[in-house]
Amino acid sequence: MPGDHRRIRGPEKSQSPILYAPPDQALKVYTGEYIPTRDPRRQQPVYVRAGHLSQATGSAYLESGDTKLVVSVQGPRQAKCGEPPIGLEGRLVCDFRRAPFSTPGPRRSPSNSNEKELSLALQEALVPAVQLQRYPRILLEVSLLVLQDGGSALGAGITAASVALADAGIEMFDLVAGCGLALPPGANSAWLLDPVLYEEQQAAIGLTVALMPASNPVSGLLGGGEGCDSDRWAEGIRLGMEGCQHLYPTMQKCLEGATRRRRSRNPSPSPSPEGGRAMPGGSAASHSAGKVIGQFRGTNASSPLLLTLAVSLFTNLTLRKGSQKISSFPPSFTYHCLILF
Amino acid sequence: MAMAPPMRYCVPGERLCNLEEASPGSGTYTRHGYIFSSLSGCLVKTSDNGELPVVSVTRETESQMLPDVGTIVTCKVSSINSRFAKVHILYVGSTPLKNSFRGTIRKEDVRATEKDKVEIYKSFRPGDIVLAKVISLGDAQSNYLLTTAENELGVVVAHSESGGSSLLYPTKNCLFLSLGAEVFRWYPSAGVRCSVPGHTLKNSAK
Repeated sequence: MPGDHRRIRGPEKSQSPILYAPPDQALKVYTGEYIPTRDPRRQQPVYVRAGHLSQATGSAYLESGDTKLVVSVQGPRQAKCGEPPIGLEGRLVCDFRRAPFSTPGPRRSPSNSNEKELSLALQEALVPAVQLQRYPRILLEVSLLVLQDGGSALGAGITAASVALADAGIEMFDLVAGCGLALPPGANSAWLLDPVLYEEQQAAIGLTVALMPASNPVSGLLGGGEGCDSDRWAEGIRLGMEGCQHLYPTMQKCLEGATRRRRSRNPSPSPSPEGGRAMPGGSAASHSAGKVIGQFRGTNASSPLLLTLAVSLFTNLTLRKGSQKISSFPPSFTYHCLILF
Repeated sequence: MAMAPPMRYCVPGERLCNLEEASPGSGTYTRHGYIFSSLSGCLVKTSDNGELPVVSVTRETESQMLPDVGTIVTCKVSSINSRFAKVHILYVGSTPLKNSFRGTIRKEDVRATEKDKVEIYKSFRPGDIVLAKVISLGDAQSNYLLTTAENELGVVVAHSESGGSSLLYPTKNCLFLSLGAEVFRWYPSAGVRCSVPGHTLKNSAK
């Protein structure tokens, strides 16, 4: 109606929002059930970079599709006073956290979210790969922060955490690659590899598989949802293992790049095998203004008598000098006598 | 390490070679008759004449990060007790540690001779730098156990009791001799701390 200023009217031309929805969701609205229209085996492109945090022993940044996360490794260190004691095999402690802006919607309180469960799952997946028996009484800390959750955050987190541990120089048996899977509801649905956030939320069953690619054992498995028979589970796990194997070349290239960068930063070769003593090296006896720095260097086999004589001579010299001229020297003069044997 | 051939980079878990072709070095582990890499770094193959070449994986940063039994460590005394001295281990060999470890030097591990007559108060003071050797990793509850009962071990740098900034240095008879502007005499080794007016002498932990 012309001249109606009390109502807010929409645009003249309007279109159905279904046109702008992703194809999966659009199909659901029309048909009432969720039929994914993508290739179930496609994996998101993965970008990994290691060694970018200078203050951590090891670090990794991983992007898999929309999922972005950052992992840092602290340690090896001793357990502090308040913490439980560590035995002859070291301990690996993992911490899985989501940033408050990582998922759309209101912030979830820490008690509601499943961060504790995911931290334990991460630890369970990484422990078989780390040679903890070479680190007695040592604590290793892995902290993971999910910056954006675009689906299969735990799988991506496991991959990134093992890259960070390798970057930190922790001795490991093998790397660990992680992969997420989702099974949509419906009788004839197929397992989806590397689901996006929407697919994960709509799925009847979610599964994460962690695999050690070079030697092939599955090191971690976390799944939940309304059950189906064991054949379908086995099929899902097999698909997950294949997905993890595909991640291995990317992880290798990333670690190679990190090693190359580290070499170009510190071109010096590896340090001498036997630790030296903390004694300072020798410098020629010099007489600088107000200071007498003398050094005697003798072998262990030199006779004590000779040495005592030398010591007494030298000290008498300096001391006499000091005592005679003490009045003329300002009190800040000191005589350093460094005698090395 | 030959620089002419290109660097071969490895990741943990990569199979390097057979146990018959080479023997494993640092940074590797063996399984089922093969040598695998356990670090991400560069492959180094050293061939001794006559023996099997040794295959190891090296990284540019410190390779020796942990105090092992038998290594010489440099530590700083943090607190003393009548029975032991607590120290912070700062260096292992010549490589500095990022996180310092805690260690303990017990009364009976200070000297090799006359162990029962040792007095910790006269051997160590908080702030001294000590060279020690690791004898044990300790129990689950305790820290590394260290010993200074050898010729080359003991306190190497300390500050004098009289304050100021004069440092004490070890002398031939394992006594510290403070030479500020006022020292005129020193006492020969008696294993006892004597204080000359304004200065101190300290028995090194030997």
